[in-house]
Amino acid sequence: MRPAIILISFAAALQAQAPVEFQRDIRPILNKKCMACHGADERGRMANFRLDTHDGATGLSGGYKGIVPGNSAASRVIARITDDKRPMPPSGPRLTPTEVSLIRRWIDAGAPYTSHWAFEKPAVKGTPEGNPIDYYVKARLDKAGLAFSPEADRHTLARRVALDLTGVPPSKELLNAFLADTSERAYENLVDKLLSQPQYGERWAKMWLDLARYADTQGYEKDNNRTIWPYRDWVIKAFNDNMPFDRFTIEQIAGDLVPNPTESQLIATGFHRNTMTNTEGGTDDEEFRDTAIKDRVAVSGQVWMGLTAGCAQCHTHKYDPISHKEFYQLYAFLNQTEDNDQPSDAPVLKLANASTLVMKELAGEKRRKTRIHDRGNFLNPTDEVQPDVPTAFHPLPAGAPRNRLGFAQWLVAKDNPLTARVTVNRFWARMFGRGIVETEEDFGTQGATPSHPELLDWLAVEFMRTDWNVKNLLKTIAMSRTYRQSSNVTPALLEKDPDNRLLARGARFRLDAEVVRDQALASAGMLSSKMYGKPVMPWQPDGIWLVVYNGDRWITSPGEDRYRRSLYTYMRRTSPYPSMSNYDAPTGEVCTVRRIRTNTPLQALTALNDPVFFEAAQKLALRTIGDAARSDRERADQLFRNVLVRPPSKDELQRIVKLHRETRDELKRNAAASQRLLHYDQTLYVEDREVTLAGDARKSPAEWQYTTDDPGADWLSASFDTSNWKRGKGMFGFLTAKDQQKEIITPWETDYIWMRHDFEMPAQAMENFRIFAKNTSGFEVFLNGVPAVSSVQDRGSYYEYRVAPQAIQSLKPGRNTIAVKATRTYGMGKNQSIDVSFVAARPPGYTPQTRDLADRAAWVAVANAILNLDEAVTRR
Amino acid sequence: MSNEFSATRRHFFRHCSLGLAGMYMGSLAAQENPLAAKKPPLPAKAKSVIYLHMAGSPSQLELFDYKPELQKYDGKDCPQHLLEGKRFAFIKGVPRMMGTPYKFAKHGGSGAYVSELLPKFSKIVDDVTIIRSMTTDQFNHAPAQLMLHTGNPRFGYASMGAWATYGLGTENQDLPGFVVLVSGGNNPDGGKSLWGSGFLPSVYQGVQCRTQGDPVLFLSDPEGMSRNMRRKTLDAIKDLNELQQKQYGDPETQARIAQYELAYRMQISVPKVMDISKESDATHTLYGTEPGKVSFANNCLLARRLVENGVRFVQLFHWGWDHHGSSRREDIRYALPPQAKVTDQAIAALVTDLKQRGLLDQTLIVWGGEFGRTPMRENRGGSYGEFIGRDHHPYGFTMWLAGGGVKAGLNYGATDEIGYYAVENKVGVRDLQATILNQIGLDPYTLHYPFNGLNARLIGPTDEGKVIKDILV
Repeated sequence: MRPAIILISFAAALQAQAPVEFQRDIRPILNKKCMACHGADERGRMANFRLDTHDGATGLSGGYKGIVPGNSAASRVIARITDDKRPMPPSGPRLTPTEVSLIRRWIDAGAPYTSHWAFEKPAVKGTPEGNPIDYYVKARLDKAGLAFSPEADRHTLARRVALDLTGVPPSKELLNAFLADTSERAYENLVDKLLSQPQYGERWAKMWLDLARYADTQGYEKDNNRTIWPYRDWVIKAFNDNMPFDRFTIEQIAGDLVPNPTESQLIATGFHRNTMTNTEGGTDDEEFRDTAIKDRVAVSGQVWMGLTAGCAQCHTHKYDPISHKEFYQLYAFLNQTEDNDQPSDAPVLKLANASTLVMKELAGEKRRKTRIHDRGNFLNPTDEVQPDVPTAFHPLPAGAPRNRLGFAQWLVAKDNPLTARVTVNRFWARMFGRGIVETEEDFGTQGATPSHPELLDWLAVEFMRTDWNVKNLLKTIAMSRTYRQSSNVTPALLEKDPDNRLLARGARFRLDAEVVRDQALASAGMLSSKMYGKPVMPWQPDGIWLVVYNGDRWITSPGEDRYRRSLYTYMRRTSPYPSMSNYDAPTGEVCTVRRIRTNTPLQALTALNDPVFFEAAQKLALRTIGDAARSDRERADQLFRNVLVRPPSKDELQRIVKLHRETRDELKRNAAASQRLLHYDQTLYVEDREVTLAGDARKSPAEWQYTTDDPGADWLSASFDTSNWKRGKGMFGFLTAKDQQKEIITPWETDYIWMRHDFEMPAQAMENFRIFAKNTSGFEVFLNGVPAVSSVQDRGSYYEYRVAPQAIQSLKPGRNTIAVKATRTYGMGKNQSIDVSFVAARPPGYTPQTRDLADRAAWVAVANAILNLDEAVTRR
Repeated sequence: MSNEFSATRRHFFRHCSLGLAGMYMGSLAAQENPLAAKKPPLPAKAKSVIYLHMAGSPSQLELFDYKPELQKYDGKDCPQHLLEGKRFAFIKGVPRMMGTPYKFAKHGGSGAYVSELLPKFSKIVDDVTIIRSMTTDQFNHAPAQLMLHTGNPRFGYASMGAWATYGLGTENQDLPGFVVLVSGGNNPDGGKSLWGSGFLPSVYQGVQCRTQGDPVLFLSDPEGMSRNMRRKTLDAIKDLNELQQKQYGDPETQARIAQYELAYRMQISVPKVMDISKESDATHTLYGTEPGKVSFANNCLLARRLVENGVRFVQLFHWGWDHHGSSRREDIRYALPPQAKVTDQAIAALVTDLKQRGLLDQTLIVWGGEFGRTPMRENRGGSYGEFIGRDHHPYGFTMWLAGGGVKAGLNYGATDEIGYYAVENKVGVRDLQATILNQIGLDPYTLHYPFNGLNARLIGPTDEGKVIKDILV
């Protein structure tokens, strides 16, 4: 401990000699303890005193004079922050003695205000040699007395760069080609191949969709389905085509306003159509339109410029140069779009195979005026404003129109000090687990300062010089020595730089939610390479989707759609896919700039027990068992390589074989458990084994006997005489809307209906009995006279009901009876309908008992363990 | 000290002395585990909160807010001044006033008026504070629920339970610190965002526990994987992780090992706490519980078991109170009584049970919807049908609180004579949020997290929310 203390005080002593720098030393103190009342926001300002500008603090702009430059003793600011009776700040923590001393020294030095680094245009400093990334990183390492770590071994490097660039582990072919390539260019060849794979676009699209707050539903109470996946596909293609980032920006913000827009450019405008719509009763469409526009302004500022512009919707930003008025001037750029908050999601663009939400500019007399909203409330409009950009930043480019297109051009103008920096920082952060500016979402005065400012600027300038070439940027990063270092940690490194801010070693961090799942599927050889199209529904536990007033169901996709990359999984905002949210993936409700990685036991439970992961374990095991001729050690070796993309060490191999023996010995005593493990997917996908016992209108509807006259208490008995009942098929009822009326096959308009249907049960023991019903009436279902389901709730689509166990027990091979009694809920002439079906599943088809059954099944448990290793969920 | 190393979110966990949020994470243990129990910064009256949210919003006029004057106006047109400048979810034009079909009587020493629909609750009025002057500024379900639970009517903000566990951690590391239980057949309108962590790290989000299927998603081992085999696989995972840590030296591997051990302990402790079958017959009779079912009663009993076992925040949602009168199942004559009945017994049982066990003092119970219901009869589409009900009403409604330092037997606040506006001792949702945080020892004004350039707080950016001192012991 002692040397550390000496070091710290030595550092403090050093700092006491160093000149005070406003941005580094003073600004953070003012922001934290003064600006809330003495900042740029004129409304929140106290005592007519502002500290955010030199002229304000010194009274030159007319307010209170709190600072006398060059004379701290005469400055009221010093008197008040040191006054114990009337202290500043009046509440909350006081300034520390160190802080007071810094302020004093700053005033004595003339109280110089320098502007925030990120608001100055980036410029290249120094003459970088070799890979400039390494040049800047090394300069910083030299200062700290550190050096680069050696390059990571080839296996690690191949897995790392494949996961980073494509979001999936390297294919066997890629890996083997790389390992066999003895040329100097071997690694570069690998990087080039990865950058040209279609998976590259999918990986980076997912990053962008977090920012676009993409989801497949509208949000809020009903959270209905929304078709906007063509926009998702556009993003994938744009990345794969290496569309320059400036064009990528303009097409998304204003693709409809470029001359003669193509279909693709219109689809791109879906970016800002991902805002949510509320269709609850009585909602004010204008209110939710306003919410959407404000969100678009805030998201534009955040995504491209790393500014927390959203603050300025209620009041002038307290820390950054965006006034209340300027927020609404930006709002004015985006306020001329045709979309309203309404269920129809208009305007949409009709495509060959779908439709998608797009932007459309309001025409002529429909164009809107924009007014400042007092305190951000749209019900309190004040002064009218015209579209304009904040004065603290570069002007609109010459010739740029004052509309969305001009705004987009302003975002990617070469004079913009932020867009290139924010963008390169974002890509850097995905490659290193952390940005050069750690607060990726905030480049303002409240954000963190860059760990390598010159490097950030060089990357930004180079990015613009190469015409915003994203693949070039990523290749430059991937090729650097900095990136290729081993991530191994030594106690010395850990002590000197625990967080690896200086990059004396490679980065190491947990994989993103999507990559955790995709990698598990890939290692088991299950991952589908199918791209694009409608979102898919891989297996999800029952009961996740229970959204009010919305009968949409999660229906597991058939075939390879179960195993698509996670970015194709249906995203419902109010009911996210559980394994994704357990691993910190966002829901698409708001723009997510940076996912905060957490570590919870739910993640362990997911990777251990989520059936999707366990199915991957099963298939990985089956793949491993492969040819019977393999030895246990060979199998263990293969399984390990499939997941971790490297050969196991001797110790690792031994431990895996030991686990296999232990589980095999237990499974030898339990053949049923072995069968379940080896046929896990069959248990899981019940729908693949499903048998319809009584069909509904969706396919092969059953013929029911029915009556609307009360048949008496005995109607459920097997021997009840139904010979005078009528016959008809579902759906039964009456619907007021003309287009719905055609769903009705058998009319029913009375208070009650009694229905019976006889069906044959196979001799085989069935399982997983389920009743489905679509109804706007209360109803009860009986099996052989035993109550099975009872419900009074409306279901606008076929809803799955659990069947009472006693009713299932009543079933026997041969003839059985299902009976339904439905009751009209609404008044006469209102909707009433009922349609019921009954399904069951055949048991899974197990393989015959063999000698090596337990031996094979034990590999499933082993695969489950390997998929859960720390290294498996980590990129290192 | 350079700003380069300033407090960013990730660092709040690791370098607690930095950053403003660090003040709630002072101990060494907190640096390791963000959910480790922390000493409350203010004197805490309650250790845990049980929040009973009645999603859809029950009618205060049928349950708690006795308005004989409204009966006189029954069937008359609503006066114009009550409609001007107002927006309703479904009411169109001029609706008629509507008295309640239910009888009210005074109960207990506090003389609280409660309707005949809540006979069991009527017997515990002397244990609770009834607030009849609640208001909110949202009149649709999803925004109003979000406002109540996250302090903002839009998505993306942190829920109350997330704030509580962020500020205080939790007592029992083998159980989630923030548990959510849902009944009534639907998730609440605001969806899972109502127990989300918003901008807070997702470690603070509510964990939904279920009484059917897996009590926590993915808690059960897959079929064919025995407990013994699970233990063996976990041992192998641990050994292999340790081998790898030896090779690579990263201390984060230790966190992964701990994560898996905690998951294993949760596999044991969660089913145990969620299993109500071993409760006594007397308890089952008291609550009206039936093991294995999804019911509000079961969830109330589970809430008691969870706080007993050190869970910080238990959030119940019970859907089915949206009695508009547009159908029989939304009619206040047909659908409200059964809904009132299933909840009446369970809430009375919960208060009684906690009291008997000496847990009521340290547990704050909150009951209520996201808004109230109109004194007018709803006329959906501008006309009346055969059923009766009320529309959404944000201007005056009822909630009640019990235990956790809240006065016993208090009637607080009032609406006007027809139950339209809260007029006496108005309480906004921000006041309620401030009070809940205050009771568990968190300062509602200083508990914050940096988000979007602001120090975001549960009670919002302004200081309008005030701790309701009048209702506190």
